[in-house]
Amino acid sequence: MLDAPDKSQAAFAQWVRRLVTGAAELRAFDAGEIDAVMDRDSGSAVLLPEAQSALHDSNRIALSALDALPGEVCVLDANGVVVMTNKAWRVAGAAHERSGLDVRAGENIFVACGDVPESERECAAAVSDAVRQVLTRMRRSLSYGYVCHAARTRPLCEFTIAGVAGDGPVTAIVTREWDGEGPRAKKTPRPATRRSSKSSSLLQTAEKNHLLASLPAADYARMESGLEPVELTFGKVLYEPGEPMDAVYFPGNSLVSLLTLVEGHRALEVGLVGREGMIGARLALGAATSTVRALVLGTGTAMRMSTARFLKEFHRSPALQRALFQFTDLLMIQISQTAACNRFHIVESRLARWLLMTSERMASPEFHLTHELLADMLGVRREGVTVAACALQQRKLISYRRGDITIVDTPGLKAASCSCYRYMQVQAAARTNGR
Amino acid sequence: MAPKRSKQAAKSPVTTVVVMRLYVAGRAPNSVKAIANLEAICREHLKDAYKLEIVDVCEHPRRALDDGVLVTPSLAKLSPKPSANVIGNLSDTSSVLAALGLTSVP
Repeated sequence: MLDAPDKSQAAFAQWVRRLVTGAAELRAFDAGEIDAVMDRDSGSAVLLPEAQSALHDSNRIALSALDALPGEVCVLDANGVVVMTNKAWRVAGAAHERSGLDVRAGENIFVACGDVPESERECAAAVSDAVRQVLTRMRRSLSYGYVCHAARTRPLCEFTIAGVAGDGPVTAIVTREWDGEGPRAKKTPRPATRRSSKSSSLLQTAEKNHLLASLPAADYARMESGLEPVELTFGKVLYEPGEPMDAVYFPGNSLVSLLTLVEGHRALEVGLVGREGMIGARLALGAATSTVRALVLGTGTAMRMSTARFLKEFHRSPALQRALFQFTDLLMIQISQTAACNRFHIVESRLARWLLMTSERMASPEFHLTHELLADMLGVRREGVTVAACALQQRKLISYRRGDITIVDTPGLKAASCSCYRYMQVQAAARTNGR
Repeated sequence: MAPKRSKQAAKSPVTTVVVMRLYVAGRAPNSVKAIANLEAICREHLKDAYKLEIVDVCEHPRRALDDGVLVTPSLAKLSPKPSANVIGNLSDTSSVLAALGLTSVP
């Protein structure tokens, strides 16, 4: 398919008229009822500018709007072909091992309904029938319970199929909610009402936290009811030294700094935890109070779990134990390396290392931090940070403006960072590979 | 993207099945309208006695070129004879009915 050649409207109309000779075709063209013209020279269809921009606009808007929705959504065309799915749908599909009619763009839901394990056939047939009824305007919306036998966990979900009648043929929006409460009465048409979308947002944040994502589906499913999505905002203190830790946090895209307080001195960062780990891992080692201040540096999502529930899950899940020990090991490496780094390496290299670690954990090259905080992070005076940041900026590795830091040249910054950064990278890779 | 689709009358062997092919350009506005209009007409006038193939020229341009299609949307009635064509988004129901030979249908 080609887009319309870059011609003025008049020239384009002339070009179309040369290609299109039939009277009926020309009449339709003049009436604005044509989308594309076949070009024999290129052997392809040339979209008219109006059709082209309509397609671009509608696709772009629809895709971004759908992805922003927390619920799991799949859009079907009039034939039952999946036009698009949103991010939550795809994420949940992967998390549930593609059970629960996890169709993908381009697939046909009727075909998918016929291609399920024997045990799901009855449910799939009900959903298939519901989609057919909605697409043929017999019903506006229907909801069905669906028992997934293929999935090892969370075997129930509910499909709501709602028809969308616009200019064109009826299309359908299918939403899927996972449910642990038990199968709903089948074949009970009811209005498409949304319940809490907690499970969808849970999955999204869980996906972002690598520690949770590394757990087997069964272990994660057991923990899920104890996980509560929260937003951690910049400056929030999760723990103070000596105080009990009443909850643990699994950061999604948030970032938490672990600071040690020594009487008479400023706080000093000893560790940095983001999506790769958790806050409160010390509980797993038998401790009840924190020795550090846990300060939120990067605003973002996290999953919160009460200490009592966490300890229960920890003791019954070997997978969680393994993941935690691995993370604790890496955190210890980070803490010990940071101690040595603070003593031996120059501020500029340390700043470069710290910026790289922060950027990786936040999955973003941009973040906001004042010189004051950076001084705390690196254990130096504010002036020292200013000099180091200016030096990195002059080398065009970062840009720094009123606390807004952007990493401009990541490879350059890696070269400028101290060896501790590379050492920690190697250690993390080794642990991930099970060495 | 548009798959082949067929609906055939199985109940009455004497019903003539109308075989059509609709050429569209993906989900472009006129193409979407043409599909909707045609489906509405088929539902009302042909019940299940039709066979419709939708060809997306963006994905299969060669088919359109080989069939002599110049623009989309474009509907071709293939059988029963005589064959006929309708160009445009098929919003003019009477011309579609005429092309399909259904003007005499009450």
